[in-house]
Order: sequence, then C-alpha cells, then structure tokens
Amino acid sequence: MTSPECAIALERLYQFLDHELDDADADAIRAHLDACEPCLDAYGVEEHIRTLVRRCCTASKAPDALRVRVTQVTTMTVVVRQTPAG
Amino acid sequence: MTIPAADEALTAAEQSDGAAVDATTETDAERALRFERDALVYLDQLYGAALRMTRNPSDAEDLVQDTYVKAFASFHQFTPGTNLKAWLYRILTNSFINTYRKKQRQPQTSGGDQIEDWQLARAEAHTSDGLRSAEMDALDRMPDSAVTQAMNDLSPDFRLAVYLADVEGFSYKEIAEIMGTPIGTVMSRLNRGRNQLRTALSDFARENGLNRRGGDDDES
Repeated sequence: MTSPECAIALERLYQFLDHELDDADADAIRAHLDACEPCLDAYGVEEHIRTLVRRCCTASKAPDALRVRVTQVTTMTVVVRQTPAG
Repeated sequence: MTIPAADEALTAAEQSDGAAVDATTETDAERALRFERDALVYLDQLYGAALRMTRNPSDAEDLVQDTYVKAFASFHQFTPGTNLKAWLYRILTNSFINTYRKKQRQPQTSGGDQIEDWQLARAEAHTSDGLRSAEMDALDRMPDSAVTQAMNDLSPDFRLAVYLADVEGFSYKEIAEIMGTPIGTVMSRLNRGRNQLRTALSDFARENGLNRRGGDDDES
C-alpha cells in the first residue's frame, strides 16, 4: 500500500487536514486521495475524529457565576493615573 | 451585555474595527469599555479551553478569572486590531502552565518534541492497527464520553494543541504563539496527540464491541 506517493500523502495528511499546505501541495494531496482508496480512508478517519473532538469539546458554556465575576473585572479594577481635567 | 452610554468613545473604535483606536489617548474608562466589548465575547470559548486544560470545572473557572484579570491589567499593551483571541489564549495558556499545572499531577510526556519524532510518529501511525476504513461505523457509534475521556487522557501539551487546532481552528503559527513553542513542536504535539486519540478510540471500540458491522446484531 505504501507507495512513495502514499507515504508523502500520509506524512502530510494532518497538514492537509489543517489547511496548512500551499495550494500546489494541497492539490497534489487531493489528487492522490481521489486516486487512492486506502489513503482516502485514512483521511476519512482523521476527519471523523476531528468532528468527534469538536462535538464533545464545544458544548461548554461558562457558568453564570463565572460570567458575573469576569464582568466585574473591569468595574472592580479602577486605575487612577491622573486627575480629571478641570 | 449592555454598554453604557459613552457613545463617542465606542463609535470611533467601531467604525475602524478597533484598529484606529489610539491607545495612548484612550481614557481608562474607554479602555475598560473596549475590553468589555471585545474581550468578554470569548468567555465561553476560553472556559471551554480551560476545562480541557484543567479537567475540572472549579479550576477552569479560576483559570478563566485569572486570565481576564491579567488580560485587563495588560490590555494597554495589546495593540488594537491585532489577534485578540490568540492574545487571550496565550495568557490563558501561560496562566495554566504557571499556576495550575504545577499543582496538578501530570503524566510525564516522553520528551522529544523534535521534528524527527513527529515524522516517525506519522510513519508509525499508518502501519499500526489504528481505526481503518472498515471501522468507520465504530466512529459513528462512539459516545461523547469516550472522546472526552480520550482527550482527558492525553498529556496537557498534546491535548491543548489538538484542542486549539481542532476546536478553535487556530493555525500552526497561532498555536505556536499561544503555546510559546516553535511550529515544529506544534506539529509534533498535534501528530502525537492525534495518534494517541486514534489509538484510544480504537481500543474503546474494540473493548465495547463497536466494530460489529450493520445494525441487526444478535444483541438481546
């Protein structure tokens, strides 16, 4: 399975997934994935796991008590550096 | 969130996306308003990240509170119009490393964040028995709790890198700034974190019979 093309595609899979490749390199990976079932499957698995991570990690809303505390950061911190203009 | 009626201060900033805010003539009150307007919007996201880092809600709340206090204290040093989100995450990450990580017992990372390592990990990954195409069904059936657990079991550096990339969509460069490491280290951590995740999920699938194909199992 691991032709040189596959090896390169797999090595760059994460960068491809993360949109970190320049257009030419990304196109080359895309072309390889079109032509290579095992590599496309590998990509599918990684992409699926990423979706799972997003789904399980994104749900958190800050508790109301924390929101109140944080909102008070600006109002409770008074910086007096100069006397007000007359 | 209500903004008090100091319209003059806000209008100029709003019109120019904050880029033309003159931080030197801005009053403290104006800066406070700008902070409320611009920084508070990230509260939920920062909390989510803090929860990933600390793995318990109480510490996460304290970490976020610390972060906002520090952020506000140094907000006069933040250049308006630049990447506020990454700046806040940097403060959050530093706070975590300096305060909470020392308190928590962390599994030792096996060192070696070198680029060679991540290339090796990459090569290992696709010759190992990770999840293969035939087991995509298993991923479909993966409960959130298993994913959360797998994430929590990662070492903090790997976990944070994966979180910043997958959930927040930061670029490698931004992650490098946030974590204070070279980009090569970011890639290494992402590689190894994701490989560990995949292995953990594969193990879970196998141990919990998620690999059975089709819907009509002989389950009673």
